Amino acid sequence: MNYFFGINDNLFKSEIQIPLFQNRNLKISNLKLFKTYPKNNKWVLKEITNKKINDFFFVLKNEDILSNEIFFLADETIVDKFDEYKLKNFNNFTDTSPAFRANFKIYLNQGGFSSYQSDYPYSMITKKGSILSSISSIANCDADKNYVLVKNIFEEPIEENFKAYLVNYKTKSIEEQFEIKTNYTNCIEISNKLIKPEIFLVTDRYLGVPMYVSEKNNFLSFEHTHPIHEYILSENKFVKVTNLKKEINEIIS
Amino acid sequence: MKSLVKKLANTNFGILLRNSFNFKPVSLGLFEKNYPVTVSDAFLWRTDNGYKTKFKYSDILNLFYKIKNSWVEFHFYSKNNKLIKIEKVNNLNLSNEFEINSKYLNNLEDYGTFFIYHFSENKNNLNNKDIISNRCYLGYSQNNNLYSFAHGNTLGKFTSIFSKENILTDIVKTSLFQNHTYTIQKYFDNFDKNELFFVNPTSKTIKFSIENKNFKLKSNNSLLVEIKGSLISIKSNCLFLRPTVFSYKGKYFDVHHS
Repeated sequence: MNYFFGINDNLFKSEIQIPLFQNRNLKISNLKLFKTYPKNNKWVLKEITNKKINDFFFVLKNEDILSNEIFFLADETIVDKFDEYKLKNFNNFTDTSPAFRANFKIYLNQGGFSSYQSDYPYSMITKKGSILSSISSIANCDADKNYVLVKNIFEEPIEENFKAYLVNYKTKSIEEQFEIKTNYTNCIEISNKLIKPEIFLVTDRYLGVPMYVSEKNNFLSFEHTHPIHEYILSENKFVKVTNLKKEINEIIS
Repeated sequence: MKSLVKKLANTNFGILLRNSFNFKPVSLGLFEKNYPVTVSDAFLWRTDNGYKTKFKYSDILNLFYKIKNSWVEFHFYSKNNKLIKIEKVNNLNLSNEFEINSKYLNNLEDYGTFFIYHFSENKNNLNNKDIISNRCYLGYSQNNNLYSFAHGNTLGKFTSIFSKENILTDIVKTSLFQNHTYTIQKYFDNFDKNELFFVNPTSKTIKFSIENKNFKLKSNNSLLVEIKGSLISIKSNCLFLRPTVFSYKGKYFDVHHS
């Protein structure tokens, strides 16, 4: 099951298109759209109505989105099944190959826009861990501004601060650190002077999806990064990634 | 008997039959070889219509295998699969980039594909089961504006990291019939123009249809198709035909994998 998300921020606006069909099967589903968000250590569930623009898509505009909300498709039995203390794998409609995706667009009032096909798989929600992402692999030092959005969704309705670091792999030192929070779409500004091959973004306790935004003259670029284990397709990929993460974690510990 | 059937079902011919009759279809094949493998996506370069392309890639062999003296090779092809040039890059950083403009490609203003292969002579840190794949990031800039980035989208070719083997293809699998449909999960409304970039990552001819138009794409050829509709389904004999999307509005554009 996949969850979807957006961002509500002073810097840019967002829009999400959530399809009601699978990518290999155009049969339209009658599932409904729900959102949930953490409040006082409980998940609050709400149905989203009037956002279906046609048979095929729900579209959430900027005013329909908050950074602590997540969205998912489910039938009406969700109201009985929903556990306010833990997110569940409610249905398998979005378990597809290729992955079931929603178009997540950010835009500026001046006209620039950029999007990617996004999802947050349930399998990531149940795990703790750390993000490791190479800054210069996608940030753009020619841009006026660079940001990393870090979306974390954790199964428990906690709103807990944790740390993100910009780590120098060559000098084995921390260049900068940030407080970000769980169950939120966080936005970190990256100084252009830190867009170098040896700089990595690392988090200490929670996983998440890192997405890179750059802006220049009202043009935008927006793309998520691959999980680092996707560089290796052989069976030893998790050993290789664990070894690299160990090395980096020693820098932040 | 059961294991013999299983073995046959996983041969290339078995997979072709499964895909043709939609019985447990297989999109992507395995790479089991007796050497360590470097896999490349089929990456799109554009120098047409004021475009230039930036390519960002990591030194995977250094980062994960601590191999310091590896190199990469880029193989550039035209949209008709003609080899344009091969470029070797030594002295890699952990993260690297280069720009592809028309001057770099002999003043060619067009589009096509390229591939990246990581090579090393270091046999101590690699074993024959290792497989690496650089999905990388591609930036597209039109009229010298900001590069907009998207990652690799289609596994294309592979070879040995020891650089002594042929380059192989057909990671993506096909069917005898045009019986596989992929619908892009995006509503193409409210744009001035939308383009889809297709690459055939196989050794077979791919037939596909969009908006009641039929297309044939020869092995390793690429094609840009302008679409008009709001909902796009692609019917083809390829099990993984996912185009890169370019959407335009005013002077701005967006690029992403589908």
